[in-house]
Amino acid sequence: MIGNSLLAAVPRKVYARLLAGLEPVTLNFGEVLYEPGQAIRHVYFPDASLVSLLTLADGHLALEVGLIGREGMVGIPLVLGHHVSAVRALVQGSGTALRMASATFIKELRLSLPLQRELYSYVHTLMAQISQTAACNRFHVVEQRLARWLLMTHDRVKSDHFRMTQEFLGHMLGVRRVGVTKAAQVLQERGLINYSRGAITILDRKGLESAACACYMVVRDMHDGA
Amino acid sequence: MPALLSPRQNHLLAALPDAEYARLLPGLEQVALELGLALYESGGPQQYVYFPTASIVSLLYVMRDGSSAEIAVVGNEGVVGIALFMGGESTPSRAVVQSAGHAYRLKEDLLKAEFERGGPVQYLLLRYTQALITQMAQTAVCNRHHTVEQQLCRWLLLSLDRLPSNELTMTQTLIANMLGVRREGVTEAAGKLQAEGLIQYSRGKIVVLDRPRLETRVCECYAVVKRETDRLLSGRRQSAEH
Repeated sequence: MIGNSLLAAVPRKVYARLLAGLEPVTLNFGEVLYEPGQAIRHVYFPDASLVSLLTLADGHLALEVGLIGREGMVGIPLVLGHHVSAVRALVQGSGTALRMASATFIKELRLSLPLQRELYSYVHTLMAQISQTAACNRFHVVEQRLARWLLMTHDRVKSDHFRMTQEFLGHMLGVRRVGVTKAAQVLQERGLINYSRGAITILDRKGLESAACACYMVVRDMHDGA
Repeated sequence: MPALLSPRQNHLLAALPDAEYARLLPGLEQVALELGLALYESGGPQQYVYFPTASIVSLLYVMRDGSSAEIAVVGNEGVVGIALFMGGESTPSRAVVQSAGHAYRLKEDLLKAEFERGGPVQYLLLRYTQALITQMAQTAVCNRHHTVEQQLCRWLLLSLDRLPSNELTMTQTLIANMLGVRREGVTEAAGKLQAEGLIQYSRGKIVVLDRPRLETRVCECYAVVKRETDRLLSGRRQSAEH
């Protein structure tokens, strides 16, 4: 069973060839895979791990613009002919992934039309996620966005428990820690989550879905459709 | 229709080697884009890609409740209609003419055929896609962290870079929609820039009077996007000439 959906979608022959260049790795929470402006050395196909793409502003304020799990690949600039990352890629959920050296990946991509098609279509889905995140940030309150973000994480880590510091959540949502605290309290008082000392437990998924903005459903449908 | 602009006033078309350009040329058709015209609607079909020569198209993300926010601007540096060659599902975004002018359009099948050849056309379109992704991500963070005035400056500078002139035809309501803020916020920010002599705003026309000072007022987001766009074309020179 192939854990990553993109790898699972390419023809068996292509997958067999890719496998030679793929190396299983464990990604740990907080690990930085790319920094803005730095050359990309590996691409990653997460299966159980989760990677956030963060855009930085003014050197310290960050904002999550994309979230990549088993449905995707980290290292999209290489697909588009760039060798440098424009964003920070930060591991947000520990777990396994398959990685491939950039040079090998570029060579394989050139050789395989099915792989190209799969990745172009994925890039388009990711763009939709980025633009949707931009609009969501503009219009929706922190509490809705936190609910949405917890659901997206829940979908990808496949566990009801995960660890998140408030500072980390603040970067994801582009708000100050107090904003995160307040929003988490609201969700907790409604019995949707339990949040203490950086440990989050999802108690009521259905309730969380109604607390989230519609953006959650939009992104989920995009991924299901892709 | 005014005098025909060369398709090569679009920087992507200008960057193509002669052979590729010659193949596309018979299929390129000049169209006039009126202010407010939607080139495609959220989830709707797209039959053409558009290469603006002297116009700006705004990509807007449309929420389920109908409100929308701009996620990117496309002018003479780019192309509208990425979905056609990336082969993704249709997306909930609209493409609306934000500064009236001209563009060249190309039918879907012609573009797809050229893209699938895998040559310089594909290379350029993919690189442009990366620059567009950077612009979208930067717009997201800018919306979150920066003031309306900074955002307005970013928007003005990005728009000017994508037009052959230093004049924009624009209403404040339209700008407010683009930035996803209240009109009063735009009025206030524009009024301030005007009082300080950076721009002149009258009857739906914005003229930039002092670009260097406008650049000191903008957030870093402008420079990030500009750098990516410049890199796109500098990379082209190396590659297209092999």
